[in-house]
Amino acid sequence: MNTAVRPRTGPTDRGSGTRLNSDNSTRSRFHLSAAARSLGLRALAVGGFLLLWWAVARAEIWPPVILPPPHAVWEQAVATTTEGFSGSTLPEHLWASMRRILTGSGYGTAGGILLGLLIGLVPALRVMLGPLISFVRALPPLAYLSLLVIWFGINEEPKIWLLIIASLPPVAVATADAVRNVGPDYLHAARSLGARSWRLPLWIVLPHALPEVITGVRIAVGVAYTSVVAAETVNGLPGIGGMIREAQRFNQTDIVILGLFVIGLSGLLIDGILQRIDRILAPWRGRT
Amino acid sequence: MSWSPSPTTAALELREVGHDYPSRDGTVPALDGITLSLDQGQHLAVVGPSGSGKSTLLRLIAGFQQPTRGTLTVHGTPVTGPGPDRGVVFQQPTLFPWLSVLANVEFGLRMAGVPRKERRERALHQLALVGLADTARMRPYELSGGMQQRVAIARALAPDPGIVLMDEPFGALDALTRERMQEELRLLWRHTRKTLVFITHDVEEAVFLGTRIIVLSARPGRIILEESSDLPYEENPRAAPGFARLRERITEAVRHAAHQAH
Ligand SMILES: Nc1ncnc2c1ncn2[C@@H]1O[C@H](COP(=O)(O)OP(=O)(O)OP(=O)(O)O)[C@@H](O)[C@H]1O
Ligand SMILES: [Mg+2]
Repeated sequence: MNTAVRPRTGPTDRGSGTRLNSDNSTRSRFHLSAAARSLGLRALAVGGFLLLWWAVARAEIWPPVILPPPHAVWEQAVATTTEGFSGSTLPEHLWASMRRILTGSGYGTAGGILLGLLIGLVPALRVMLGPLISFVRALPPLAYLSLLVIWFGINEEPKIWLLIIASLPPVAVATADAVRNVGPDYLHAARSLGARSWRLPLWIVLPHALPEVITGVRIAVGVAYTSVVAAETVNGLPGIGGMIREAQRFNQTDIVILGLFVIGLSGLLIDGILQRIDRILAPWRGRT
Repeated sequence: MSWSPSPTTAALELREVGHDYPSRDGTVPALDGITLSLDQGQHLAVVGPSGSGKSTLLRLIAGFQQPTRGTLTVHGTPVTGPGPDRGVVFQQPTLFPWLSVLANVEFGLRMAGVPRKERRERALHQLALVGLADTARMRPYELSGGMQQRVAIARALAPDPGIVLMDEPFGALDALTRERMQEELRLLWRHTRKTLVFITHDVEEAVFLGTRIIVLSARPGRIILEESSDLPYEENPRAAPGFARLRERITEAVRHAAHQAH
């Protein structure tokens, strides 16, 4: 999934309000046509991809077990949704994975914000915990999955813990950086207005850090997404990862590909929602 | 009220205050030998060439940094940090972008535990005084620089601090708004007897608003001229006989300080 964070541009440009009317209308017409064109280009790319896929599968250079045609994947989408696969329907598999992602990255985010605040505010903690967090962040989740299975068995616990451990460090690092970069004059202004002790983190430090925290959360959810399929290779049914694993055992390539699409598209959707939340919660991003 | 004027101690007292900034090779003296006593209700205008330590002086009084030399007391108590007894208007507006304009102005009242309804009323009143009641629901970054600065003034005044410190607050305003704000401030001060420390590049503004006026020399800033004046209490200070003469004396001192710098 796409976790790259781009600076926001577009309709937030308030400067346009002062422009001449005629200027404005050419601008918006240009915007409309640009949006339509990019949409069209995107549709073209998707259509071209499907066509190429279909043509290559149709040519039967490789057998269907290597490359099934697009319609076979679509038929499996319908079949797994109505009849199910490995004891659960496609929506049930998806929901099982989503619940793990949301639970794991939810706890990971909460813990990451708390830890990041502490690390950002207490220099001694930064010295002590900073290297540990960087170390855990560098580990590929599959590397510690075995340890988690030994500790927590093969049910939900190791999967949730895996996602927590994978998503906590990016949030903690982003929060700690943002907290340390609070402009001193914001704190001066607040203290001159009577803010003291716990009110400074609550009213100044955390809100100031919010845009970076949200960026951290988007990265964390991305990491959780890439990790969940790995976590579900051990006793992952129901779950998209378990479904893919099971299909692989029976050479049902069309279901493997279906699983990829489902996890990829739902990831794009979630990131879109997080971007929307970012725009609502931190509308000042890049404007101060 | 957050302050209690005391008849025996000065509102603000600086004794031989100096400040050095660290630099690559040693230290840079920014201020030196500032001795000054200000009574409650006096308005101190500080003028001087750019880099003469005006902002440094203000930040010391605000408690943002500690003086390298000398002592600094507010109502007899040494300054150890910022506090709600001294409202500050920065050279940059420094509004909180995560809060609405109204919430920015309400901030000090909220920290003081003023109940919601009264808080809202007082903040709106303060916004109206700077002519921005209709921007209450907007975000700071949706305002122009001059409007932001007026919100910052409203924010500093809303909790009613006994001492107000302002660093070139009208620098970003057009001539007309500037004149209106100066008059507003002059009348407000005449009625409330607050203590004001006011930094400006504009000698005319200093004479219009200051009951005490000091001129700082080029770096390190030292007081090279000190004047007292009753002009702000006149009906029309600019038309008063002493206005032009005082303005000339101060302009001369500033010119002298600026020449020193080059
Ligand atoms: N944070 C700092 N670190 C190092 N030197 C500083 C710092 N702030 C100010 N100075 C130096 O101290 C001197 C006084 O600065 P100050 O900002 O007080 O001047 P000023 O009179 O307010 O100038 P202006 O009218 O341009 O605002 C300057 O020479 C400046 O270089
Ligand atoms: Mg300055």
